[in-house]
Amino acid sequence: MAGHEEESKSKGFRLLGILDVQNTPCARDAILHGAGGSVTAGLLHFLVTSRVRRSYHVGFAGFMLTTLGSWFYCRLNNAKLRVQQRMIQDGIKNKIVYEGTVIDPTRKHGAQTPPGPS
Amino acid sequence: MAHPAQLGFQDATSPLMEELLHFHDHALMIVLLISVMVLYIITCLITTKMTDKHILDSQEIEIVWTVLPAITLILIALPSLRILYLMDEINDPHLTIKAMGHQWYWSYEYTDYEDLAFDSYMLPTQDLSPGQFRLLEADHRMVVPVESPIRVLISAEDVLHSWVVPTLGIKMDAVPGRLNQTAFITARPGVYYGQCSEICGANHSFMPIVVEAVPLNHFEAWTTLMLEEA
Repeated sequence: MAGHEEESKSKGFRLLGILDVQNTPCARDAILHGAGGSVTAGLLHFLVTSRVRRSYHVGFAGFMLTTLGSWFYCRLNNAKLRVQQRMIQDGIKNKIVYEGTVIDPTRKHGAQTPPGPS
Repeated sequence: MAHPAQLGFQDATSPLMEELLHFHDHALMIVLLISVMVLYIITCLITTKMTDKHILDSQEIEIVWTVLPAITLILIALPSLRILYLMDEINDPHLTIKAMGHQWYWSYEYTDYEDLAFDSYMLPTQDLSPGQFRLLEADHRMVVPVESPIRVLISAEDVLHSWVVPTLGIKMDAVPGRLNQTAFITARPGVYYGQCSEICGANHSFMPIVVEAVPLNHFEAWTTLMLEEA
């Protein structure tokens, strides 16, 4: 059962044989947003102007712009999350490794020193 | 390691390979959009009913198809250069290993603390145990501690070889008389395979590289065992 799930996950769908839409982060959302943007832009243009060919061109431009916009927005957020994830992982690792030692960054300096003679 | 009929990259085990995968996705999306645009233009050209024999120039479209490719190239170049310089960052390695290419095996030298050196030959197919991988397994693996920066100095004793571990994003030529340096960090324990990637003779396909990442205490136990066996 697990082997079948891994097999279906590894055989992603390649759009035009180029981009693996299933296994590439943000790709599926970008293409779907692009398709939606394309249909919306083309349809709106046609409703306003009744020009078929020009509406196809507008629809295509809408696809390109929406796909690119969605892709960059999603990838930027993805990259920020990955940076945060790495910082958290390093922080947890450093806390475990250095806790209780002299170089523990969370140790309060001077808190352990005994008071002077009265 | 790779699975049968695999077309894409292996999963990343080092942060650098993660960045490379990210960049590859970015570049492929741009390639996909360019391909879609070319297909669309071809469709428009085929289906147009209008022909005009008197078009001499069009400044607007000339500007568009000069500026857009320039922007596209910049969008590809900036992340690419970022990763290129990331690869050459000075990190502070915890361990230095020398990998020497021979015909047709690799030898590894751990000379930081003790004088540990061993050869790594491919396991012949008839000697494999069930579950082992054909043409990938070696009799001695290059064992490294996990989550520690490792520096590998690569050279060769005879002809050109190439030390490659795809999942770590490493490919470095082993050139006789030259010392090449690369560095990596393994994010998780495991066994990672690679194969010699520079034609070096009859058994070029039969000198694999096997890197095993283990926790530090296991690594120390392994070095002790190897020194005792030597």
